[in-house]
Amino acid sequence: MSQRTERRGIHVDQSDLLCKKGCGYYGNAAWQGLCSKCWREEYQRVRQKQIQDDWALAEKLQREEEAAYASSQGVQSHSQSTPPQQPPGHTSLGPFSKFEEKKTNEKTRKVTTVKKFFSPSSRSASKKETQEGKSPSPSISRHASFDTDQVSRDFVDFLKNLQKTGREIHKQCRAFIMNMSSKKDLSAEELSECVQDFYQSMADRLMSHFKGSSDSVEQVMDQVEKYIMTRLYKSVFCPETTDDEKKDLATQDRIRALHWVTIQMLCVSMDEEIPEVSENVDKAITDIIEMDSKRVPRDKLACITRCSKHIFSAIRITKNEPASADDFLPALIYIVLKANPPRLQSNIQYITRFCNPSRLMTGEDGYYFTNLCCAAAFIEKLDAQSLNLSPEEFERYMSGQASPRFSSSEGDWPHSGHGVTATNPVLAQLNHNLELLSGLSSRQETLMESARSLQADLLSWPDTVQREVNDILEKYPLEVRSCTVSAIDANNMDNDNLPPPLTPQVFAG
Amino acid sequence: MGESLPRVPRGSQHPSNTLSRPVQTLRVKMVLLGSSGVGKSSLALRFGKDQFKSSSPTVGCAYLTQVVHLNDVTLRFEIWDTAGQEKYHSVTPLYYRGAHAALLVYDISKKETFIRAQVWLKELERHYVPGSTVIWLVGNKGDLTEDRQVSAQEAQSLANEKGLSFTETSALSGDQVTELLQALAHRVYECIGAQQGGLSEWREPSLVTLHHKDTSNPLASCCKVGP
Repeated sequence: MSQRTERRGIHVDQSDLLCKKGCGYYGNAAWQGLCSKCWREEYQRVRQKQIQDDWALAEKLQREEEAAYASSQGVQSHSQSTPPQQPPGHTSLGPFSKFEEKKTNEKTRKVTTVKKFFSPSSRSASKKETQEGKSPSPSISRHASFDTDQVSRDFVDFLKNLQKTGREIHKQCRAFIMNMSSKKDLSAEELSECVQDFYQSMADRLMSHFKGSSDSVEQVMDQVEKYIMTRLYKSVFCPETTDDEKKDLATQDRIRALHWVTIQMLCVSMDEEIPEVSENVDKAITDIIEMDSKRVPRDKLACITRCSKHIFSAIRITKNEPASADDFLPALIYIVLKANPPRLQSNIQYITRFCNPSRLMTGEDGYYFTNLCCAAAFIEKLDAQSLNLSPEEFERYMSGQASPRFSSSEGDWPHSGHGVTATNPVLAQLNHNLELLSGLSSRQETLMESARSLQADLLSWPDTVQREVNDILEKYPLEVRSCTVSAIDANNMDNDNLPPPLTPQVFAG
Repeated sequence: MGESLPRVPRGSQHPSNTLSRPVQTLRVKMVLLGSSGVGKSSLALRFGKDQFKSSSPTVGCAYLTQVVHLNDVTLRFEIWDTAGQEKYHSVTPLYYRGAHAALLVYDISKKETFIRAQVWLKELERHYVPGSTVIWLVGNKGDLTEDRQVSAQEAQSLANEKGLSFTETSALSGDQVTELLQALAHRVYECIGAQQGGLSEWREPSLVTLHHKDTSNPLASCCKVGP
């Protein structure tokens, strides 16, 4: 009964399978029920429209930004108390349209990446674009996405308070970004120099403007850094002119190959069995991974610092005394190995190139960043000696021929089975999972067995039926009596008593 | 604790008279080098001890700060502890990049730590022109006199030969620790602080931002929070 209902559920009408456009071909759910040909046509159209919309949006935001400026200037010169006018069109951008905007941006971003993959001369193309788009709208607005719009708006808001100077700063920053967008072919070091020079000259100008009040200079510089780096991020992070990407991949592979390194080999004083410690370890891993998602160098540094603080807490809980560098660096190395942070080398390079240098050499953030650099360098050079292993062992682990956990308890594996499960929660979990899997596999086996016997039964069933039928047929052979073939009323006894059949009579008249 | 006092009025004062500033705070980067177990971190903790009130509770003693007041200037030491294990030796140069002072710490009761300190010294000399970094040889665990393996004369003669300063301290008892920091501060200021741009100024991160100072349009900052 139930089987029948299920079958009814699966049943699909033939017409549902065809392309929704009615071209007669079969459609596909992944293509919204269209056939491949119709889908391609449809998709092209939508995509074109999205790109156009995005363009329009970017331009609109650009105008808004300028309008916001003009209005803020106007308002501030007229009366200080009234809030600045909302720029035209600003209010109409409700929360939903913002969401839409984000969605579209995400889509187009994907599209551009795909395009980048396929067009062999993407760089020369972009150069052409910058030349074409110079006067009417800067090419940089093309890259404007949700984040950058937000940052631009914040920047404008921030600069409003500085009135005339703010306007000047904004003008300079925009000019600088425009200038940078035309310099895509420069090497990463040259780009870094440009940005650092800009920071320097901006800081000098601000210094003379604020007459030595370094607090304000610092604040403005932070905002400038945030604005500029968010805008330039895409073009200067892991640029094509460097081999950063290759290094990223190499590091990633290296860390993957070192998956077998245990906390004991690195002599890390963290006891992950303490729940609080493992919680801190998890947080540290999350923080270091999060670094890649930030755009501003300072925000990336903040992620590293947060990660480091969690490591310190973990060590402190384990050892019950403040952690020293002797404990901290191995722990950080362990965290990096466990986390395998995305694009680690690119991020380090990016921070080194575009962060305010004084922040890297000194200060707490600088200290933790230096430690991260050390960890990355150490992982690159890591060898048997640094893990207190013999070269042979190291080779075997690296090639995957042996795993340190098994070899350590090889001798007394039978009894240590329980001991291991009792001490290490991860191993216990692993064993539990293995048990589950083996149970599952035996059940699967049984199922297959019965399925096979069912199949055999089914195959033999017609034969059995045939045989039974034959047996019955043999047992009770069909007797054909000749008399039975005679007329229906041949042996009807009452036949004679019946009146004679009516004979047609002809009546005259 | 005292360092913030002269700074607060200055921020709101006329910022133009740079010359008549009462006390300037300069930042000094100091690295601690030495084998593991020589007491670098205990030394760092000792350095930072007096500062507990003004700093946030320490989770670690790998990075600490300490303020030293001199006659006409205040130095804010940023103390960078380094991992002393031999396997990390190859990455240590990253730490002392841009350092103004380096403390070479060894354990007077362990000869090999003294030899390691000399290895570090060679490394430092390879990277730095003399005069840009103040290098100080520190014999720690001065309280373990009965187990002494490195005599004070031996260390002193090495220091003389290489043009370093030398002190024996005890992080356990705190003996000579404050004196060392004071002497170091003088030395750093003499050697580097005098040079133009040798030390950068340190600024108290102010809690009052420009946003809040300027109350001309209070709505501007709250409007942008919404989507």
